[in-house]
Amino acid sequence: MKKPLNFLLLIILILGLVSVSGCADKTEKTGVYMASDELVIAMGTHGGEPESGFDPITGWGYNHEPLVQSTLFKRGSNAVVINDLATDHTISEDGMIWTVTIRDDAKFHDGMPLKAGDVAFTFNKAAASAGRVDLTMLEKATAIGDNTVEFTLRNPQSTFINKLIGVGIVPEYAYTGSYGQNPMGSGPYIFKQWNKGQQVIFEANPDYYGQEPYFKKLTIVFMEEDTAFAAAKAGRVNIAEIPHTYANQVVNGKRIVSLETIEACGITLPTGPNTGEKTEDGYPVGNNVTSDIAIRKALNIGIDRLSLVNGPLNGHGAVEFTGVDKLPWGNKEAIFEDGNITEAKRILRDAGWIDTDGDGIVERNGVKAEFTLLYASSAQDRQVLAVAVSEQARELGIKIKVEGASWDKIQNMAISTPVVFKYGDIDPTDVYLRYHSESYDPSNWNNMIRYNNPVVDAYLQNAMTSPDEETAVEYWQLAAWDGETGYSEKGDAPWLWMASINYLYIVDENLDIGTPVIQPHGGNIFGNILEWKRTEN
Amino acid sequence: MRHEKLAVFSLKKIIKLIFLLVVVSIASFWLVEQAPIDPVKIYIGAMSVTPEQKAILEDYWGVNTPAREKYLNWVGNILKGDLGDSLIYRMPVSDVIKERFTASLVLMASAWLLSGIIGFVLGIVAGMKNGTWVDKAIKTYCYILLATPTFWLALVMLLVFSVYLGWFPIGLGVPIAVAAEDVTLLDRLKHLILPTITLSLLGVAAIAMFTREKLIEVMSSDYVLFAKARGEKGFGLVLRHGVRNVALPAITLQFLGFSELFGGAVLVEQVFSYPGLGQAAVEAGIRSDVPLLLGIVLISTVFVFIGNLIADIIYRFVDPRIKQQEMRT
Repeated sequence: MKKPLNFLLLIILILGLVSVSGCADKTEKTGVYMASDELVIAMGTHGGEPESGFDPITGWGYNHEPLVQSTLFKRGSNAVVINDLATDHTISEDGMIWTVTIRDDAKFHDGMPLKAGDVAFTFNKAAASAGRVDLTMLEKATAIGDNTVEFTLRNPQSTFINKLIGVGIVPEYAYTGSYGQNPMGSGPYIFKQWNKGQQVIFEANPDYYGQEPYFKKLTIVFMEEDTAFAAAKAGRVNIAEIPHTYANQVVNGKRIVSLETIEACGITLPTGPNTGEKTEDGYPVGNNVTSDIAIRKALNIGIDRLSLVNGPLNGHGAVEFTGVDKLPWGNKEAIFEDGNITEAKRILRDAGWIDTDGDGIVERNGVKAEFTLLYASSAQDRQVLAVAVSEQARELGIKIKVEGASWDKIQNMAISTPVVFKYGDIDPTDVYLRYHSESYDPSNWNNMIRYNNPVVDAYLQNAMTSPDEETAVEYWQLAAWDGETGYSEKGDAPWLWMASINYLYIVDENLDIGTPVIQPHGGNIFGNILEWKRTEN
Repeated sequence: MRHEKLAVFSLKKIIKLIFLLVVVSIASFWLVEQAPIDPVKIYIGAMSVTPEQKAILEDYWGVNTPAREKYLNWVGNILKGDLGDSLIYRMPVSDVIKERFTASLVLMASAWLLSGIIGFVLGIVAGMKNGTWVDKAIKTYCYILLATPTFWLALVMLLVFSVYLGWFPIGLGVPIAVAAEDVTLLDRLKHLILPTITLSLLGVAAIAMFTREKLIEVMSSDYVLFAKARGEKGFGLVLRHGVRNVALPAITLQFLGFSELFGGAVLVEQVFSYPGLGQAAVEAGIRSDVPLLLGIVLISTVFVFIGNLIADIIYRFVDPRIKQQEMRT
């Protein structure tokens, strides 16, 4: 009497199959995949979902295109500042008062005109809320009439322009605590819908004061990078950010786009010796090997950056010498000839680093030229670069032990141990915090190498307090190299910059993304969204 | 008499729950405080930040507020019925939980039902066919399931059914690029199927093995022997005497499985980018969003407690025999 049971099993099997095949409907009911003026983008790796919503006041769109809101200024593909909402700006002689005039044809999505009062409100509000935007230098923003805003600073600051680039303008009359859940601005796209943790939908703004976007609907889907790639492969998204591991994948109807960024990858070389000093938490300070300038210069000159780009990065990157090569405040004079092993060895020998015991590692006064190099164990690109550098350093007689670690550990060790870092800020304040002696703070990432050069300090101070960016650029460049000293290899070589790392996207064959703007840390793929279109192919 | 019993029972349970909530909240709070996490640092990430801005951020995240004060503030607000504001999402914790818990609940409820039914049926079959190849196959299947990491299974399901076969959407809880008003129930179901199956597959093993064990025990009991002597046999016998006696303990066990369900849901949600409480809990924990984390902890404690409570009620009031059996062994 086994039959009923077998019958039962059969039923279960059939039910299972039916329940699965019942939904074997190949196309999701969206119909967007073929609509030519709609786009689905998968993001997540960088610049994923803003958890506190699409609110510029808490940091939405700082460093990237906010889509919904417009900003006073923008940066173009070569980082040059261009007007957006602003029509003009002047800075007082002493650099304390910035006056910005704004266009009179900008309207919020509900048809109300955008006025100077909204601009002033936005900045005052952002300064008062602990978000991603540092406005500690702003005393107050005041509207003068409908089209002029006056920003009063606490002290002159050339980098203030970056705040005016970074903060999207919100309507004062419609700003509530839940603004981020349902944002409204004057930007090229109107916010439609946000499914938290999943996607956000924008539609083109027909009344936009600028060029009307080609794409009438943008959907940003928030996904992990592997899921994003799978979705692109399945034809569910038109463009997705993908990890380097998929660089050589061939997907039907899609191409891989490798975008140059200013995300510079470098290694800190602590400049002070280890004198037994400890941080508050009891961690060592300084490093007896990297504190010698000969070691730092030999590494900088001996390492062949091009081979790092072509090897570990598979060509998805560019050589980097000063950390800000591609930016206006980078100093072309500071760039040098690298991959010169003979010269590197000569520098070491002249400084007394000689291999006396024949183990391939040079030493001086009983100190071997060896140190540990830490990288964040979750970051594969940092790991491959670290390993490649350590292999190249062996040829110079310097032994580098590469070690993956958690950020917590790195935080404690960074004051005494070289670490692989990535920096890609479009605001030169970054340079000040990285090299100014007073920026040193063991509880922070600023100036971990404890770099201290009074001449450089003075340049950095002058750059920061210059009234405007043009004047500041000169000082920023001098800080890298003034012919005598500087923070670049030609000066004190406190960092070993290696390469800038590209961001990879998988994109529809027929999608033309124009000339992308400069891509900072986190990317700014939508920076030139108004140029995007489909090509016939 | 019965009412009195019930009153005492409920009172005991309520006191227990309150005590549990206090302990759990203190424990989680203490863990977050002990964690070597600097929420400001995480918030900043790799950004450089000026000392002035850092001070503002530290103030916001309450880095320099003594732990005791922070906890008492939080408790004070709870007693007023206010769970506080999430530091990450910058909105009331109750709103975050409402949003997320509904999504999670649908997922967990369907997975819970499915795993209960499949597990029970498999267990019965295995128990009946004790020792045959069917039994062995089911047992092997259960062992494999028990040893399978949830996230891995989720990834495999995603690859097979969504990427290669294209039967299901890739993750998410709603169709891509469709306005909310155009989303049909069918769409939602379609997005729910894969995560649900993944989550229920894992719950199947425990319930199946338990049911099998119980059934074998029942089938070797005196009354089954007597029934057999009367000429009953096969499927009818199992249905009348076996299943009836096994069902209740199995259901009880299923209610006790609430906690595992919760843990599994967290992982499954991560892989399928399904916007549930799991994702929010992970964020809150990693980034020291104390109000949100404690809010979620409270909700999940209540949730698991209710599961156990139902099991308890079944235990004590529906089938006192279970208790007697316990006493005897």
